Amino acid sequence: MTVITLTRGGTADAAGAPPPRRRRGLRVRVALARIGGGLAVLVPIVFLSSFITYCLGALSNSNPAATILGQDAATPAAVARLDQALGLDQSLIVQYWNWLVQALHGNLGRSYFTQIPVSQSISQRLPVDLSIAILAVILAIVIGGTAGTVAAIRRGGWFDRGVTAVCSVVSTLPAFVVGIILVVLFAVSVHAFPANGYVGPSAGTGPWLSHIFLPSLALSLQVASDIARQLRTSLVQVLDQNYITGAKVRGLPYRRILVRHALRNAAGPALVTLGYDFPQMLAGAVAAEAVFSLPGLGQLLLESAETRDIPVVQGLLLVISTFVIVVNLVINTTLNWLYRTDDGMSA
Amino acid sequence: MSGRRPVIGPGSILRLPSARIAVGVLAVIAILAAFGSTLAPQNPLAINANALFQGPSAHHLLGTDYLGRDVLSRLMAGTRLSVLTALEAVGIGLVLGAIPGIATVFMGRSFDFTANRVSDALMTFPSIFFVVAVTAALGNGLVQAMIPVGILLAPAFFRVTRAATLEHARAQYVEAAELLGASKLHVIRVHVLRKVLPNIMVTTAAMTAAALLTVSFLTFLGIGVQPPTPTWGGILSSDLDYLSQAPWAPFIPGALIAVTVGALNALADAVRDRSGAGTLVASPILPTDLSLELADGDRQSRSIA
Repeated sequence: MTVITLTRGGTADAAGAPPPRRRRGLRVRVALARIGGGLAVLVPIVFLSSFITYCLGALSNSNPAATILGQDAATPAAVARLDQALGLDQSLIVQYWNWLVQALHGNLGRSYFTQIPVSQSISQRLPVDLSIAILAVILAIVIGGTAGTVAAIRRGGWFDRGVTAVCSVVSTLPAFVVGIILVVLFAVSVHAFPANGYVGPSAGTGPWLSHIFLPSLALSLQVASDIARQLRTSLVQVLDQNYITGAKVRGLPYRRILVRHALRNAAGPALVTLGYDFPQMLAGAVAAEAVFSLPGLGQLLLESAETRDIPVVQGLLLVISTFVIVVNLVINTTLNWLYRTDDGMSA
Repeated sequence: MSGRRPVIGPGSILRLPSARIAVGVLAVIAILAAFGSTLAPQNPLAINANALFQGPSAHHLLGTDYLGRDVLSRLMAGTRLSVLTALEAVGIGLVLGAIPGIATVFMGRSFDFTANRVSDALMTFPSIFFVVAVTAALGNGLVQAMIPVGILLAPAFFRVTRAATLEHARAQYVEAAELLGASKLHVIRVHVLRKVLPNIMVTTAAMTAAALLTVSFLTFLGIGVQPPTPTWGGILSSDLDYLSQAPWAPFIPGALIAVTVGALNALADAVRDRSGAGTLVASPILPTDLSLELADGDRQSRSIA
């Protein structure tokens, strides 16, 4: 295990030297420069990932106009007319720009086959994955956080060794295998949970939770094991620091030391792990949907991929990557809040 | 961690018991991948209506499936496709990730910025969504599907090699070599590549495990293969449809996948321990002013699935 270092870019100063007092104007300028620097990186990522998404459609050798018209009506003239109507006769960059502007207005185009607006079919399916993903994140934080914290406090004990062993086993099991195991254990052998299907929260919180619990658990285990390992390692190091000993000497209650002093400083790497794992968690949601037969975005993706319904595929990929970016922004904000400096300037 | 890293050989890695077990397991998998269909005790495609859902017996060591086919033979015959496609993806990821990862250190800031943003953008795509979207555009074949899997593995290789190269490219002996008139290519070949190699090896082992999980998941979803062809994920998928008749069936292919992935992870750990390499700097996907270095062993291969 290597040392976890946490450095603050820009304000790194010589060890022990007090930070220079900042004037108000400078503080605002530094904050603006940080926001600007962040945007300079964020904006290219958003454009690049949406451009890659759009290009996937252009890569396709399918002929959308011919597909829409059907074999009989696909005369060259009709195809050309429809291409013009769909904007497919323009250059790739122009097409991409139009698509992106429309997407920002909530219009992702229409399915080639059903003519249903893409945004409509996505918003129909989104609650399923949103429920699973949110519950999975909560489960991962609760399970991983508790296991990692207890393992770090009881370092070297049987619980610690147990957590390490379980984590290495879980990290070899993909979400769909975990899902199958959970179905066999809790739905087929013991009828504790429904084995498949989805019920919205409008049908009552109990049935809704019971339908999403097993899929969420299947998704969360791998992330939970990552969080537990990361949190254990960083918490062990924080607990050895002098200021923890100092707090103990001052007679602060252990619970307070653990939460206010130790966990706050050890949580960073675990949060970064969560952000890192989140895309894979969404990929796992496709597995959970397949195993538990849930009508989610993954099923929509597989159906539209089979029929080569490019607008639906592009829309889905755009929504999903936006989701990943938003979650990582939230995590970054949390990190900045956790490691804020005393002068009120968040790093 | 000191800047000097010994270049490691297979002998020093194999001194670790976990590495010996891992290499043993992987050797068996390699033999199965090479000769699996010839070694299989029975025809993996032979249907026997009189022997459905049988448990393990002398005749069928791992039982039979819903068509009475021998599960052991199907697993052995399915190894080649599962392993080779995973290796194809890792090869693509290695080339697309490691070469820019090294190049970016020597090619100036604008190239570095661009390469990093491309890598970040790729990391916002959950693998399965991206792969399925690509197969929607390019056609449904397992070999084609491995290209996007490889592209998505590239950011991991890119980040690791870039971080390791940065560390070595600033060393004093590199400066000395440059002062003596060594060309960039000479510096990369002699001073950087050999030092970065252990990091690349660790990442390759971990990413092979990740690719294997993705391949199993793709074949589980039925992407790229036609039904009678046996694959690890495909066997799992058909087992899932008959859980009420044979609830134990999915555990056999599941365990095979898990053992292989575990062996690759153990090998990655062993190389890391022996070489001191492989601190994968997992900075957040999006920019933040904080740079956090995660502990070793935590950026292990995860299921991309």
